[in-house]
Amino acid sequence: MAEKTTKEILKEKIKPGEHVPLYNPRAVEKLKGEFEKWQNTVVSKKDKDNWWVTPHTILGSDIPRELLYTPLSNTDLDYTRDLGFSGQEPYTRGIHTNMYRGRTFTMRQIFGAGSPEYINKRIKMLLEHGATGTNWALDLATVQMFDSDEPEALGQVATVGVPIDCVEDMEVICKDIPIDKVSNSIITHFPRNTAIIFPMFLVMAERRGVPWTELPGSVQNDFIMESLVRSAVEYIPPRDDFRIQCDNIEFIRKNVPKWNFVTLNGYNLREWGTSGVTEMAVALANAIDTLKDMIRRGHDCDWIAERLAFFWAPANDFMEEVARLRAVRRLWYKIMKYRFDATNPRSMWMRCHVQTSGVSLTREEPMNNIVRAAFHALAAVLGGAQSLHVDSYDEAYSVPSEEASILSLRTQQIIEAETQITQVVDPVGGSFYVEALTNEMERRILDELDELERRGGVVEAVTSGWLHNRVARFIEKEQRMIADGEIKVVGKNTYRAPDLKMPEIWVHEYDEKIAKQMRDKLASLRQRRNNEKASSAIEALIQACKKSDNVMQYTLECARADVTVGEMRRAFVKAFGSWKSPLYMA
Amino acid sequence: MAEKKIRILLAQFPLENHNRGLIAVAGLLRDAGMEVILLGNAVSNRIIDTAIQEDVDVVGISTYCGGELALGKELMKVAEKKGIKDRTAFVLGGIFPPSDAPKLEAIGFSGTFPPSASREEIIAGVKAAAAAKK
Repeated sequence: MAEKTTKEILKEKIKPGEHVPLYNPRAVEKLKGEFEKWQNTVVSKKDKDNWWVTPHTILGSDIPRELLYTPLSNTDLDYTRDLGFSGQEPYTRGIHTNMYRGRTFTMRQIFGAGSPEYINKRIKMLLEHGATGTNWALDLATVQMFDSDEPEALGQVATVGVPIDCVEDMEVICKDIPIDKVSNSIITHFPRNTAIIFPMFLVMAERRGVPWTELPGSVQNDFIMESLVRSAVEYIPPRDDFRIQCDNIEFIRKNVPKWNFVTLNGYNLREWGTSGVTEMAVALANAIDTLKDMIRRGHDCDWIAERLAFFWAPANDFMEEVARLRAVRRLWYKIMKYRFDATNPRSMWMRCHVQTSGVSLTREEPMNNIVRAAFHALAAVLGGAQSLHVDSYDEAYSVPSEEASILSLRTQQIIEAETQITQVVDPVGGSFYVEALTNEMERRILDELDELERRGGVVEAVTSGWLHNRVARFIEKEQRMIADGEIKVVGKNTYRAPDLKMPEIWVHEYDEKIAKQMRDKLASLRQRRNNEKASSAIEALIQACKKSDNVMQYTLECARADVTVGEMRRAFVKAFGSWKSPLYMA
Repeated sequence: MAEKKIRILLAQFPLENHNRGLIAVAGLLRDAGMEVILLGNAVSNRIIDTAIQEDVDVVGISTYCGGELALGKELMKVAEKKGIKDRTAFVLGGIFPPSDAPKLEAIGFSGTFPPSASREEIIAGVKAAAAAKK
């Protein structure tokens, strides 16, 4: 018999219990009569005929909206069942009792294009300006796990992030940074990338004498990013990639207890091309399959779930963005409590980092992007996010300038220190509209999750190409709607200036000097290190992949032996073979 | 007589990890009646070999992450070596500094499309690039 889906389990296990509607039935009856009268006598025929409209936006979910929301949009509302108090089940209103009064959102701006030496300086500058965590981007070669001296790395070293080839680069990046105090988020998108780069961080800490148990921070480690979202010359089969994701989680949980070992990444999937509903459904499906795998490995689900974190992309549909953060918080609580029988409240907390949408920004009149990103950020904070990155206005030109990234940090600080929205928990809660939309988002996310589970789970939905095709269709349709003006983009296809000029924008220039410095460093490393030790560490990694040993124990040995990023990548391909993304021609 | 369909190969440099643009452009060129061959990421040799195999009129490159000048030059070198530079049009789109557009044209890209390019501009640009090689 097929395994029950999450939706079926929730339906079975959540008992209706005593239902206490907030709106008393007499009042609702009276309201119904008054509402009908008003609609028939006051509201124009045109407005009545178009009572529901479907907004079309970039990355939108096309959910119809009413002209006016009233208690009739949600007569069933039971306050304690559906909303509760902050820090209490079902966590709709927030995971912490005092939310931002207790602890403001972490202001975590990504940065990174430049040499390891430059990034070290940039970290220090951001910390001096009041950033409370770091968030380093890796350059393309490092993300795709190529060494700076491989032919594929031509033109890509240090362009969009920092290059890391070996432990020595990690030592330069973290020089004089209190790695036991500052929380470092290292954007190792992929499981393989995490398995390769994070041990380099651990070996750096080891060489500095900082115990692993003291290290705060996070990695991304999401197979959806590796097998689905990114494009690359080379993939390994999604099933093996998923296994590495789980190996990493297991190793980090055991050995680096303050580290967040996975960030379930909806963001990049959304930005690639999906609605906010699909974004959340896929990340939840990945979380569920990960927990199932951990339980299969003999671990307690709370031991893992208490440190799970999500990553979301708020785009232009402001109220929907607020509502869906509330919706997924409630849904995650239900999944943990009823699907996994979690007992630790922390396991039921949908903790999230949010980055404002980049795809929603324009090349035309780039200063408009400052306003867009501020709205996206405001939605994230109204929705109760734990951590935030605000995109910079110049992102359709190049990686952000220093000035633009300080402005992004300032946007966060203005929300935090000036708007006062952080004084009151869940300030939009109780709005007829927001509560109805929250219910609608939760229902749709659960339905899409159900569809994924019926297709055999998230790994199968990736392997079969079903998700690839879904995204490709979304992108093509969205492109058409923007070109036809159905999706309005100010300054581009709406209110476009007749004499539109391209402004002078600072752009990051490719610096061949850094690439040469990295190549020279690698050549010298291969001379200096014990090559026999390096080769046997690589061979041991290949063997561990073929058996079911935890791979991170072996990539750690590789890092200790100064094995490089590219050498470890090739070991994985040798062990698992390569896989063809279903998106492309055979 | 019906116009011969333009055949275009869409590819990315080997490490480029974004392909939203590639998919969007594939869709709009197909809608415009072109035959689109979606290759995805590949090194210059493979891009040119595929262009020869598929006998395309145009090679379109999508780039987001910079380094397009260094990589573009290498692509042109391979195209020249394999003898298709004169008969094949090359175009490039994506995120690149505005000041790189004339440099890209100088090395052999007859059309460059920033994120602000409209559907009509992209279609017209590809058609013009293909026509110039006839």
